[in-house]
Amino acid sequence: MSKEGRETAIGHLDADCFYVSAERVRDAFLNDKPVGVLGNQGACVIAKSYEMKGLGVKTGEPIWEAMVKCPEGIYIKRDFRWYEVLSRMMLDLMRDASRRVEYYSIDEFFFRAEVGRGETFEGLARSLRDRIQECVGVPVTVGIARSRTLAKLISDASKPHGARAVLDAAGEERLLADLPVTEITGIAGRRAERLSAWGITTCLHLARADRALVRRLLTASGEALWWEINGDPVQAINCRRPAHKTLSRGGSLGEATDDPTLLYAWLVRNVERLIEELRYHRVAAGRLKLVVLYKTGHSAVGQRTLALPSDRFDVLLDAARPCLRQAWARGATATHMHLIAEDLAPPGQAALAYFDPPDRRLRAEAVARVKERINGKVGRFAVRSAATLYLPAIYADAANAYDICDVRDKMCF
Amino acid sequence: MIGRHGLERRLHERGGEREVRFLYRDRRPRIPVWRDGRLQVVRWGNGRRQSRFLPATGWTWQATVEQGYWRNIGAVRVEIPATLGCDRGVWFRIRQGIRGILVPDERGIAVAYMVCVPSTHYYQVMTRSPRMPLLIDEHI
Repeated sequence: MSKEGRETAIGHLDADCFYVSAERVRDAFLNDKPVGVLGNQGACVIAKSYEMKGLGVKTGEPIWEAMVKCPEGIYIKRDFRWYEVLSRMMLDLMRDASRRVEYYSIDEFFFRAEVGRGETFEGLARSLRDRIQECVGVPVTVGIARSRTLAKLISDASKPHGARAVLDAAGEERLLADLPVTEITGIAGRRAERLSAWGITTCLHLARADRALVRRLLTASGEALWWEINGDPVQAINCRRPAHKTLSRGGSLGEATDDPTLLYAWLVRNVERLIEELRYHRVAAGRLKLVVLYKTGHSAVGQRTLALPSDRFDVLLDAARPCLRQAWARGATATHMHLIAEDLAPPGQAALAYFDPPDRRLRAEAVARVKERINGKVGRFAVRSAATLYLPAIYADAANAYDICDVRDKMCF
Repeated sequence: MIGRHGLERRLHERGGEREVRFLYRDRRPRIPVWRDGRLQVVRWGNGRRQSRFLPATGWTWQATVEQGYWRNIGAVRVEIPATLGCDRGVWFRIRQGIRGILVPDERGIAVAYMVCVPSTHYYQVMTRSPRMPLLIDEHI
């Protein structure tokens, strides 16, 4: 109960097959047809409609396997810029409806649910679901419960287009009894195996298990889940994302390569993208780590500590070059590259003159400002390092200019 | 139009909506084209070698069109309306249509060729095809 005499609970809103629904918002032709959204390489299904899911296609499945299961499926290229537009519209509507909203992921929100006299949580869930559908055009499912974990379990169990509130112990028990413990976010693989050895296979088993045992098996984070599924909210709704401990950019190289010129071009691209992120969060990198994954399955790491934290292109590239030399395996075909900024600190908090000649610093900062201004006005990557010219196909494809990690301020990937 | 061109056997249903499939592998490959503001259904390529002088395929490279190879035999550019494409079994969405050319064979019968370009990395991975149709104002 809130101070104003209103009843409070925690809600979870999750868009139904969001990427497909987003495509359908702008292209009604896709309605009721089996649709799969492919990743940027065109190889994997990253989202599928319920029609496609019904035929057994799974997220992450290669297209050549999906085609066999669903020969009539229509495949679409992802467009994260568009998905973000709709995601922000949903976020705005949620903020109109609740005083505390967490932007959990591009298609999921936690919120504080409040109802006054004569209102019900079930009615609130229904009205939110219908409002998002009406204003954004995306079907969503809403679950309301006593804790975040329960709310998410309810919405997951009520998909698609569901609206359900479960706030009584008997209702919770019925829900938990039917769900495997792996339905809880944070319990999978090894954690589930550890619980299974003690006969804990459903959510209800976990709720009824001894708290000390759960802590021993799953540490403090597991114990938090135990409290949560017993209706004690111990995980807060975070209206703002906590500061990042690290920032990274990278991913698949598209076409695997053993060409050092191309690897260097990818490194420069990742440095430029990382700098955008550092500047957005107003932090500087104290340490760079480069991870390169090879087709053989092995990976190599190169790392370097900077003399002082920086967000400058020249300084970071000087540090990144030896990282690539360290991580590069001659003749081996690389498939992925990740550049990670660690030891993040506010920029400009060191005795600069000792390490960084002022004329060089001022020139580099002026160049960075011009680059930022032009790219902000004309378009991302309009001005970029000439080293990236070795990747013409990557820059020619607009879909590569915006990735899921570029959707900012959400809590998780 | 369906009756005039005998398209009934090409009708299919997907998601409750009817669609007409023009497949190159059909025994009588046909394709719709917009020409002079009129929608026509014409022969698609020369895969069955009805013509002795047209290339025995249903495709032509954009570079070949630009080099003027087709100009001397009276080819005109046309648009092929399409909502979906199918390449090696993969269906993909087409927003407007595909570029094509229309050329008369030695008997004056209109034959359409689809204009193609080398596949983008995405298209090649998706379909495993080295060439892709040249889409109208669309890049995939």
